Amino acid sequence: MNVMQSFKMAIKSITDNKARSVLTMLGIIIGVAAVIIMVSVVQGSNRWTQEYYEMQGTNKVTINAYVYSGQNITEELSNYCKGISEYVAGFTPNGYYGGSGIKYKTNNTENMEYGSPSIYLGSDQYSLCNNFTLEKGRDISPLDVKNENQVVVLGARVAEFLFGVSDPIDQTVTIGGYPFTVVGVYAAKDPNSDYSQDNMAVVPYSLNRLLNQGSSSFSNFTVKATGREEANIAVTMITGFLSGLIPNGTGDYWVQSENQWQESDEEYTRQMSLIVGGIAGISLLVGGIGIMNIMLVTVTERTREIGIRKAIGGSRKSIIMQFLIETAVVCCCGGFIGVVLGYLGTVVVGKLLLDMFLLPSVGMTIGAVGFSVVLGIIFGMYPAVKASGLQPVEALRAD
Amino acid sequence: MISMKLIDVKNVWKIYNEGYENEVRALADVSLEIDRREFVAIIGQSGSGKSTLMNILGCLDVPTYGEYYLDGQLASEMSDAQLSKIRNREVGFVFQGFNLIPALTALENVELPLAYQGVFGSKRREMAMEALERVGLAERYDHKPSQMSGGQQQRVAIARAISTRAPIIMADEPTGALDSKTGRHVLEILHGLHDEGTTVILITHDNKIAATAERIVRISDGKIVQDCPREEAEL
Repeated sequence: MNVMQSFKMAIKSITDNKARSVLTMLGIIIGVAAVIIMVSVVQGSNRWTQEYYEMQGTNKVTINAYVYSGQNITEELSNYCKGISEYVAGFTPNGYYGGSGIKYKTNNTENMEYGSPSIYLGSDQYSLCNNFTLEKGRDISPLDVKNENQVVVLGARVAEFLFGVSDPIDQTVTIGGYPFTVVGVYAAKDPNSDYSQDNMAVVPYSLNRLLNQGSSSFSNFTVKATGREEANIAVTMITGFLSGLIPNGTGDYWVQSENQWQESDEEYTRQMSLIVGGIAGISLLVGGIGIMNIMLVTVTERTREIGIRKAIGGSRKSIIMQFLIETAVVCCCGGFIGVVLGYLGTVVVGKLLLDMFLLPSVGMTIGAVGFSVVLGIIFGMYPAVKASGLQPVEALRAD
Repeated sequence: MISMKLIDVKNVWKIYNEGYENEVRALADVSLEIDRREFVAIIGQSGSGKSTLMNILGCLDVPTYGEYYLDGQLASEMSDAQLSKIRNREVGFVFQGFNLIPALTALENVELPLAYQGVFGSKRREMAMEALERVGLAERYDHKPSQMSGGQQQRVAIARAISTRAPIIMADEPTGALDSKTGRHVLEILHGLHDEGTTVILITHDNKIAATAERIVRISDGKIVQDCPREEAEL
């Protein structure tokens, strides 16, 4: 009796007992599909978090520093950051113009569907710190900051609202009643979101006095570190610098790496992956036990058949082989259907929950199927090994 | 020269639950020799141990003590794999309850021992069909056991037993579940096989059926109490 014969016999046995075979498969189908969907959704949400932080700009360090006397520390801080370029790639004050919108001819951003844009006061490195890239024109230059040039770089959403398809570069818009020349437009970061990060504009921070009536100091700054580790070093160094600049009792400051939010989010999703993976693993295990249960019943039901097979010359090996192939075929079919359902489920759930196109990873798919097949075979084999060890006469006595 | 002695049972015991309160001595110190081409009937009351003896002769069970030689080989000491081979090549079984596999057709049931022997494809089908023709059931080859009468099922079982052309046929109450006419037909087939040179060992409690054999072995309480040619037996 060769493998091919055993294979044919196994297929025949499966097709002769369709209901039993389908029930056996069900455990594996549900188990594999559940593992694939759950793990993929967690991985997808992990990716979503990562993309969110990447959009925000990674390795950011936020500085809040305030001197009670109202002393402007922007230049000191800026110069210090320039001096530690090994760790700091960019520096910008985070100013904000709280007045009315931007106007161009008859268009006024106050009429935008999801609200007027945020108008930031930043340095020439604002875009670097906040992960904006230029699409048209130029960025704010150090000279613009130095000379208090009334220039503005528009976010994609604002440019589209004010200018439509025409070119905004070198056009004049008004902000708070002052004329500003549009020198550049940033590329869209999240064009599909209603409250998009592209609904913004940046002007040189030196215009703070002009726009915010007199106030010239900033208390909030963003630093772009050169890497993940460097962000932590930058936090320590800047904290040290500020402790000298703002002695106790003269002001307040704190410096924080934005990465810690990302890290805690990543830790959260990592833990979620473990929990979900564990639950999914248990569901697979239950599927495997289901197979063992059904195989146990099957073998008990077929002990007489095993006796007949042994009586007419079936060896223990050939009988185990037949049951092994039978279980393997059932598990593989179940695994395959589970993978198909898992992929479909992942796409649907990904779209509904995360609005993302999710696809399960190949490694995880192979792992889930492999695990279920191995489990099914181990559990399915046990009763067959037991029954085939009986003397034929004992097996023949079974009803 | 081939020895005439095919079966040689020496002081065989079969004890169930040995050492326990419910110990049963199914066979006690049984010795028996059967030559090639004999037609032997092993008879006895229900529970006398005749089926236990057949199970040991057919290598379906192993003796607790004693030695059993089949065709010169010590079967009582063989491994599971060796016993499987013996059952496949040397012995064809016919059981009272037919013991066909319900999910398989008549032809597939008959093909099964050939499959275990490693006979493939058309050769296997040809041999199985030949065996079915022999018992007059060739036209029913695609019927499942549930679609056949008891007599037909027993004929399929005989076809399965002879499909490998085994030198020994062991039949345990082969007519027990059949009406007398069908039973006679089954016996005729067994006699036909014997005429062609097959050794037939028939287990029965029915003296009339035993009377068709050449030699009678009577068992009572696990012991052989009579072993003689039919003519001398008290039936």
